[in-house]
Amino acid sequence: MPGREPTTIPSSIEAMRASLLRLEGEWETVQASRNRDAIYGYLTAVFELVSWWATDGRAVARAGRALHLRGHHSDREPEPFAALILCTADRDQVDDRTRSKWSRVLRYAAEFKDPDEPLGDFIRRKGGINRCASRLSRQRRLGKQYQGAQPNEIACKPPILLTHFWFRQNN
Amino acid sequence: MMPIPMDEILTELSDQAFEASRLRRIGVHTTPDQVSAEMLVELEAAGDAMRFVDADGRIAWKATPRLCDHLRDLERDAQDDLEDV
Repeated sequence: MPGREPTTIPSSIEAMRASLLRLEGEWETVQASRNRDAIYGYLTAVFELVSWWATDGRAVARAGRALHLRGHHSDREPEPFAALILCTADRDQVDDRTRSKWSRVLRYAAEFKDPDEPLGDFIRRKGGINRCASRLSRQRRLGKQYQGAQPNEIACKPPILLTHFWFRQNN
Repeated sequence: MMPIPMDEILTELSDQAFEASRLRRIGVHTTPDQVSAEMLVELEAAGDAMRFVDADGRIAWKATPRLCDHLRDLERDAQDDLEDV
């Protein structure tokens, strides 16, 4: 991680509660707005919070604490963006699919966004929320294919060489 | 030790807090950073300050939108009062 605080300032449970309340306020602002771009304000707030958690090296632990504070329990390790959305957005409005999509958008931004660029501008520049979500999915699929290719290549090479060697020996 | 990176509003509040603690002190020496740290813990718990990652990748502090709105309201009230005088 690029930088820790010069003076370590502990983060309290009250601070976590205040952060969750702030995000819930952002969500209410989105609900009250007729502007399509209002969602970027909420997503920016979620992105900012997880970004400092991650820089501090405690994103997963803090996401777990946020889930606990809001009465959610999971045996799996939480994905911080999805966890915060679950904790702060209305579950009747944001179903599992939408939450997963927004979480992918934010993970894509965490990987590729320049720190100076506002999140809304980045998402718009990359073609919008749906495009960003599918970009991350595509990236992950390609990553898996690439990672999967190496052991397969190594595993395939000896038989090919042996066959070639056998062919040369017997012809 | 590097100073705690803060936005303009929090820097101003921190300066005021340090001056207040300096005037109150009785033989106890507190550094500006100690005063800032205590102030930030309180403001964060109250929902008035938040941490964020700045352009240099450091964790920095800024006033929350709630505190910004509150200060803007105070400023507007003060201006209205001035006009009434």
